[in-house]
Amino acid sequence: MIEIGNLEFTYQNTQKKAVKDMSFKVKEGEVYGFLGPSGAGKTTTQRLIIGLLRNYSGSIKIFGKERSSWGKDFYEQIGVAFDFPNLYLKLTPEENLKLIGAYYKNGISDIPTMLDRVGLLPDKNSRVESFSKGMKMRLNFIRSIMHNPKLMFFDEPTSGLDPVNAHIIKDIILEQKAAGKTVFLTTHNMTVAEQLCDRVSFIVDGKIVVTGSPADLMIEHGKRLLNINYIKEGTEHSAEFDLNHIGENEQFLSLIKNEEIRTIHTCEATLEDIFIKLTGKNLQ
Amino acid sequence: MRLINAIWSDIKFQIKQGFYLVYLIITIMYLIILSMLPENVLTIALPLVVFSDPSVLGLFFIGGIILLEKSQGVLMVMVVSPLRTQEYILAKAISLALVSAIAAIAITALSPINNVNWFLLILSTILTAGLFTLSGIMINAGCNNVNQYMVKTIPYMLLFVLPSFSLLGFEYSYLFTVVPSVAALRLLLGAYHGIIWYEALGLTLYLLLMNYIFFRYSVKIFENKIVYQD
Repeated sequence: MIEIGNLEFTYQNTQKKAVKDMSFKVKEGEVYGFLGPSGAGKTTTQRLIIGLLRNYSGSIKIFGKERSSWGKDFYEQIGVAFDFPNLYLKLTPEENLKLIGAYYKNGISDIPTMLDRVGLLPDKNSRVESFSKGMKMRLNFIRSIMHNPKLMFFDEPTSGLDPVNAHIIKDIILEQKAAGKTVFLTTHNMTVAEQLCDRVSFIVDGKIVVTGSPADLMIEHGKRLLNINYIKEGTEHSAEFDLNHIGENEQFLSLIKNEEIRTIHTCEATLEDIFIKLTGKNLQ
Repeated sequence: MRLINAIWSDIKFQIKQGFYLVYLIITIMYLIILSMLPENVLTIALPLVVFSDPSVLGLFFIGGIILLEKSQGVLMVMVVSPLRTQEYILAKAISLALVSAIAAIAITALSPINNVNWFLLILSTILTAGLFTLSGIMINAGCNNVNQYMVKTIPYMLLFVLPSFSLLGFEYSYLFTVVPSVAALRLLLGAYHGIIWYEALGLTLYLLLMNYIFFRYSVKIFENKIVYQD
């Protein structure tokens, strides 16, 4: 779906090299996460792929064709939701969707159904200027998918949302994936990345430092240990065991057989741990 | 189809943002002032008032419209939609020319003046609106706030307005007609005071050419400064 090869980009005005020899592929039907600290080059890369920046070196192939040779028809096939709500404030949600939807050849999905999905149907006749940031973000999100695009770019899609609404947005992203759509997700939210992404790339200083599935990365960067919390003689204790040959570990077997167990956890790293580790000074 | 949708979107945006209300209030104010003028002054004042609508007002309106679109972030949404830059700019020019033409017709129709060439009036208003809207887009592309826009607009205003005094008539003053705003004002005056057909045709063709050049430049500047941020 997206094939990036040796991509490099320098901003003309600041001469800052924002993307350095970047190569990666996004497969059709996957949710691909782009993670990294502010200023790492995530947004620049996304803007290069979307086509908001030119004069790159290397290659950006989308739908089998070089990005620079795509015209405006490219936007019929992609959906973009920026990390800030950009809506006509004096218009209602319905008017906002209709107005932008009129630019797409294939039309748009049923507006009341979409509004209902993100809990905005009761506010369909209110002006967007009276909306909270969370409401605007939800409207912004459905506008990016209303024309049924094959490929979607979401920048911090759950930013400013309460847990219930964040859950709805995450569900919609997973529904899109189930329908065979491809999602390019840029986020700081490691929980969102962990829950949604098939694969993630960590970006540091314009380069990809690691790519993999969240589950694999968490195991790879974690410790092969098992942590047990238990109650003995009325007080809480904890113990750690090596996962290797744990089934033959007499102390472990005795503990789980004889003591009151409170919690058992394996010690794989969280994406947040990996994020801090990879973006820390020791890797610069 | 996309262009028609874009024009409709612009009209809707302008109505909701209150631009048409401002137009209506200004038109009523103009009418009140014009009604108080004696007939010999009116024949000069009316064309100038009608001219100021698509030119001076138009320049400030397009500035306000684009700055509002920028501040609400919707320009970015249009950039990542199938709407072409050419369609976006044409829609702005057409929607503002339309409202200018309506205002010009209303002000003229409600003023005690006879023998108006309505075709020339509408044509000159549309061509003037085009020139100034496109200039406004070119000025606005590099601006982020009203102050910047105002400062950048002043030299354009001087360039467009000062040569208009050449219409008072002096030796070789017709040479100033090369300035598009002077050509536009000449054509508009022709709608009220009469004009030889070949002069009207020449001015129309010249204004069409200038509109085309302004359009090409505004597309280029808009793409370099707004669409692409490299």
